Amino acid sequence: MHETNWGLLIVVYLFLGGLSAGLFFASGLANYLKVDDKPAYARVARMGALLAPWPVAIGSGLLILDLGNWYRFYKLFMHFRWESPMSIGSWLLTAFTVIAFLYLYSWLKEDERTWIFSKIPASWKLIHRLNVDISSWRETLGMIGFPFSIGVGIYTGVLLGAVSSRPFWNTNLVAQMFLFSALSSGAAALLLAMVLDKKNPIEKHETKFLVTLDVVFISLELFIILPYLIHGELSTQAVKQALDLILGGPFTFIFWGPFLFLGLLVPLAIEVYELFPAIFKGREFHGSRNLALTAASLVLIGGFLLRYIFVYAGQMSSFHSKMGLLQ
Amino acid sequence: MAMKKKRYALVIDSRKCLNCKACVVACKAENKVPVGHFRNRINEERKGEYPTLSINFEPEQCHHCDEPSCVRVCPTGASWQRKDGIVLVNYDECIGCRYCMIACPYDARYFNEEEGVVDKCTFCVQRVDKGEVPACVETCPSKVRVFGDLEDPKSRIRELLATRRYKVKEPQTGNGPQLYYLL
Amino acid sequence: MGTIRMDRRLFLKTAGATAGAVAATQVGCFKYFKKGRSTAADAKEIPTTCELCPNKCSAIAVVEGGFIRKLNPNPENPKSRDMLCARGNAAVMQVYDPDRIKQPMIRVGARGEGKWKPVSWDEAFDYTAKKLAEIKQKYGPEGTLWSSTEGFQEKFFVNLGQAFGSPNIVRHPTLCLASVNLAYGTTFGTVPSFDMLNSKYVIMSGANRFESIITPDTMDLIGSVMERKAKLVYLDPRFTVTAAKADEWYPIKPGSDLAFILAMLNVIIAEKRYHKDFVDTYTLGFDQLAEHVKQYTPEWAEKETEIPAKDIIRIAREFADAGTRALYYSGRRSSWYENDFQMRRAQAILNTIVGNWDQMGGMVPNASLPKGEFLFMPWDDPKASRVDEVKTNFPLAAASDGVYLKLRENVLSGKPYPIKGWMVYKQDPMNALPDQGKTLKMIEDMDFIGVIDLQMSDMAWYADVVFPESAYLERTDPVEVMPGIWPAVVYRQQVVKPIHDTKPNLEIVQGLAKRLGLSDYFDYTIDQWVEAEFKDLPIPMAAEHMKKHGVWAATGEAHYGKTLTPDHRFVTKSGKIEIFSERLQENGYDPLPVYNQIAQPPADRFRLILGRVGYFTHANQSNNVWLHEFMPENDLWINPAPAARLGIKNGEYVNVASSVGSVRIKARVTEEIRPDCVFMLHGFGKKSKMQSLVYNVGASDAVILETAWDKVSGNAAFHGTFVKVSNA
Ligand SMILES: Nc1nc2c(c(=O)[nH]1)N[C@H]1C(S)=C(S)[C@@H](COP(=O)(O)OP(=O)(O)OC[C@H]3O[C@@H](n4cnc5c(=O)[nH]c(N)nc54)[C@H](O)[C@@H]3O)O[C@H]1N2
Ligand SMILES: Nc1nc2c(c(=O)[nH]1)N[C@H]1C(S)=C(S)[C@@H](COP(=O)(O)OP(=O)(O)OC[C@H]3O[C@@H](n4cnc5c(=O)[nH]c(N)nc54)[C@H](O)[C@@H]3O)O[C@H]1N2
Ligand code: SF4
Ligand code: SF4
Ligand code: SF4
Ligand code: SF4
Ligand code: SF4
Ligand SMILES: [Mo]
Repeated sequence: MHETNWGLLIVVYLFLGGLSAGLFFASGLANYLKVDDKPAYARVARMGALLAPWPVAIGSGLLILDLGNWYRFYKLFMHFRWESPMSIGSWLLTAFTVIAFLYLYSWLKEDERTWIFSKIPASWKLIHRLNVDISSWRETLGMIGFPFSIGVGIYTGVLLGAVSSRPFWNTNLVAQMFLFSALSSGAAALLLAMVLDKKNPIEKHETKFLVTLDVVFISLELFIILPYLIHGELSTQAVKQALDLILGGPFTFIFWGPFLFLGLLVPLAIEVYELFPAIFKGREFHGSRNLALTAASLVLIGGFLLRYIFVYAGQMSSFHSKMGLLQ
Repeated sequence: MAMKKKRYALVIDSRKCLNCKACVVACKAENKVPVGHFRNRINEERKGEYPTLSINFEPEQCHHCDEPSCVRVCPTGASWQRKDGIVLVNYDECIGCRYCMIACPYDARYFNEEEGVVDKCTFCVQRVDKGEVPACVETCPSKVRVFGDLEDPKSRIRELLATRRYKVKEPQTGNGPQLYYLL
Repeated sequence: MGTIRMDRRLFLKTAGATAGAVAATQVGCFKYFKKGRSTAADAKEIPTTCELCPNKCSAIAVVEGGFIRKLNPNPENPKSRDMLCARGNAAVMQVYDPDRIKQPMIRVGARGEGKWKPVSWDEAFDYTAKKLAEIKQKYGPEGTLWSSTEGFQEKFFVNLGQAFGSPNIVRHPTLCLASVNLAYGTTFGTVPSFDMLNSKYVIMSGANRFESIITPDTMDLIGSVMERKAKLVYLDPRFTVTAAKADEWYPIKPGSDLAFILAMLNVIIAEKRYHKDFVDTYTLGFDQLAEHVKQYTPEWAEKETEIPAKDIIRIAREFADAGTRALYYSGRRSSWYENDFQMRRAQAILNTIVGNWDQMGGMVPNASLPKGEFLFMPWDDPKASRVDEVKTNFPLAAASDGVYLKLRENVLSGKPYPIKGWMVYKQDPMNALPDQGKTLKMIEDMDFIGVIDLQMSDMAWYADVVFPESAYLERTDPVEVMPGIWPAVVYRQQVVKPIHDTKPNLEIVQGLAKRLGLSDYFDYTIDQWVEAEFKDLPIPMAAEHMKKHGVWAATGEAHYGKTLTPDHRFVTKSGKIEIFSERLQENGYDPLPVYNQIAQPPADRFRLILGRVGYFTHANQSNNVWLHEFMPENDLWINPAPAARLGIKNGEYVNVASSVGSVRIKARVTEEIRPDCVFMLHGFGKKSKMQSLVYNVGASDAVILETAWDKVSGNAAFHGTFVKVSNA
């Protein structure tokens, strides 16, 4: 068995990176969808924009802290190594974070901007010059950021999936799984934030939008987990052995219980239960606050656990024959 | 005169391994490997029920792969490969992300906490470049490992590979490992 | 040796190796360079001789910036076959061990309490001399005991004891190999080497050669066996590494090896497969033997040994057919059972009748090399006789080495006379002797104990004065000739200056001698001593050669058959190889090996057996950081069947109790041991807090081993203890 070189910080980093991607994606989508030429979900878009850059920024900070020599992180940007997912990812993440912050900025109201710049000493003239209204860029930034958000969502999976030495990871399905998990986490986080925002109570059509989004992504995620398992079982011995980690091995319970059942199936059931009457029976969408809170929290926990399981189990998996290490 | 191409590799006759750990300590001394970490190790496999038993020992270290996945994933280029096939870490470029450790199918690398960098078997380049053999090769009581240049048709490892059956470990990883285990 | 040489030819060390070292840039040894130590430019390579076990391998120390960076094997020594084992490599850490004794110390608290006062050498010498003089005055010089284990500087210590006037010099052989030496000596008049390189068929009774490293046997045998040049049959209650590599392994019933050998003799003689010419020409007593072994049939032996009769018969035939190239290996640590001498005798006889004496692939009398001697002033022989009464109790034993366990009994009883002072050199009797309780009692009874060691061994921990000797890498030692099939002479020279306030043993001995008024006997320096020894070496420019190479060996070819001339006289009473020994008979022992079954453990007990691993030496390497990491704690091997019966689980602590003590130790439930035995490794459960890695970690077997010895040689019998194992 292999020792774990990547620990909780990396799990958190991958989760937060995905979360930002999902938030940005949901926000961009909300901004893009128009009714009568006006964004139908402007408040959703704004909330998403305000939240999106932070997780990834914090996550990148954590990643840097996790480095053996954190102060050398700049070396990541002295090279571009197209074969290294981490190298590509670093550039991608940086670009995305910049875009996300610009996007956030574009959503700031006049008074918010004024407030922020009031905190900056007046003598820093150069900085104050940045106090400009770029709300007109919203659309453009959203469009540019879209592919980047998807890229980041995929990247968190590719970082693991591209490692050919770990049979647990080494299938292109991992990247997709992580992407959809990221997108659903983003939608769920947004739902959670809006439900919790007492000052601006969430409206039903907004809840419905986010719940719908979530249902779609969770379903997609589920449809990938299934082939992941089947594919793996039909694959080489090493991959089969790797899957044993979640099929009888140490990660079995956490995979099937907390992750798959609580983190995917339960919220999916709740959300479908909420949506079903509205879609198929043509009834009005209820939008239970408690159910939304529950479902969203569970999705987030599920998203975190997915990364937890993959980071740890993946490192344990190996093509290496089972000879024990030093004793 | 152009330098002749070289490809260093190890041929390992595990059956002769006594699990005496001389190679492990020699490496420790030669390469200042911190206590608690190892560049080489003796895998062991114990089987059977009394009195029908077997133990197999198998030395292992970095395979100095032809297509090293550690080098491929390294974001800074700190992990690199010499022309003679030896895979090294440039300690000044290493940021300590440990991605290479995860990418190595042979668990050959360790993280040097004190220095914040990743390290592993270097084939003792400092010795090899002087024409000596690696420390683990030299010190072994039963001379389990044979070090040499695959490009040299007269080398002993070529002779061994030509006359004996052998395997490499987990060729399906596509890494092209260069530790040849005699059968 | 083919393979070994091949590597060398490929990668001949470049002559000016040091010059190229600068090229070592940052790779490989970055720490070294980062820490701002010197670059490799000032690197020196100094040949020396390893001291971490009795093998004396040749090493080359690489010194950089005043630090010993590494030890490399020296290929010039045919005995060490261009290798250094794990311990040899870890000798660097013997020097830089933070637990080392860094200056002389005098005990201030109670014995064993661990309160020490660091003192100057003068203080330590004065204090010790005063104590020894007091004892001498009260009890005579024989009231002191001088105990030591082999080492190049041991002779100075032994000489001091003798010059002091004590007959009570006791060395390690009766804890180790006294019975095998006496058995082969009795039979052949000498103890031969075993030509493992060329043997075709080797049988070993628990000589765990692939873990208990003996040079060059270990290396030669693994080559022969793995390259299918030799067949190895191995008997051991445990499945050791040697068992794993052997062609056949039999988990023989402990203590029954003699039955196995006698049955082999029975078969070989009955089937007339012995070497008749050889037996007729060179031996004495074959007919008596033939008659004697008739009773020992394979069927009978099967019951004793639990090895099937058909296998015994087959092995006997194969062995005899391999003839002069068959070997029943002698073993080294023969401190097993009370009948050990006779078991080794039977081996010697078995070897004799297949005619492998002085043959390629057989037993070969050792060749030696002449060496000069430093002539020092001689002292008078001690007036008193030995306290262990070797002459009366063990008339055939080597009196000069003493009989350790009998000696301890006599000291404890105060008869024939009291011993009140104990000087110890390079030995840890607290762990090397069975029944630690008795050793502690003996310690309590002493008026004074002085210990010369590198580290605070358990013995040192209970001493009154501790003298820190410089590590072997810090000192120059006398020259040593290593007899063997390939005789060699080795030299141990100083590699670095002592890093602490330590002294080589000679200077410690001289410091004491001066204060005891014995200076005249030790009026030389180590350099004078060594120069004198260099003189008669058969090497041109011996001194220069030895300093530059550290070793000299007669060239490659072994010489066989020098003793195989009809007029050759063996150093026995009859001048022949004595199958039947009149000397034994005269002294009241069986002239031919007679089998007596040894006691077997009752159903609720196990036999405790001992052995080694490749990376520790006895009780003294477990605290070396580079070795400790291979085994941070020892454990008790126990077979799953009895473990299940007793509810013992792998990895959980158990109590192991004998009639003399009990210890707590982790269980290792393993298939690799007979159900009626348990096994534990030596060197853990230390009492000395200055063995910080193993202090109170694991258990010391010495605590539970009972006292017993072989009747003829006085060799300790370590495998006779029965223990009860229960969950802790
Ligand atoms: N229980 C048990 N008892 C045994 C054995 C066993 O296997 N189990 N084996 C037996 C055998 S075969 C033998 S040979 C004996 C060995 O018994 P010992 O000779 O007591 O063996 P060691 O444990 O090696 O202890 C040697 C001591 O010498 C010290 N020393 C090492 N190098 C030097 C040096 O250069 N100078 C000085 N002054 N001191 C040094 C070490 O620190 C250590 O304290 O034990 C016997 N007793
Ligand atoms: N690595 C290492 N090498 C060493 C040493 C060391 O401490 N460490 N010490 C050196 C010294 S001083 C010595 S004396 C030698 C000792 O080396 P050996 O003579 O090989 O002795 P041990 O290693 O003590 O091995 C004894 C073996 O006998 C087995 N045994 C016990 N009872 C019986 C029995 O009744 N019948 C049979 N057939 N087998 C039995 C035990 O299970 C054990 O495996 O090693 C030398 N080499
Ligand atoms: S030195 Fe040789 S025999 Fe010893 S463990 Fe290493 S490879 Fe095996
Ligand atoms: S064994 Fe691992 S560390 Fe060594 S070259 Fe191959 S992938 Fe890299
Ligand atoms: S730890 Fe160092 S060598 Fe390994 S991938 Fe990261 S930067 Fe490269
Ligand atoms: S080749 Fe050198 S670095 Fe590699 S394991 Fe052997 S001794 Fe260590
Ligand atoms: S066998 Fe090992 S410890 Fe003993 S002398 Fe040789 S290298 Fe040193
Ligand atoms: Mo010994």
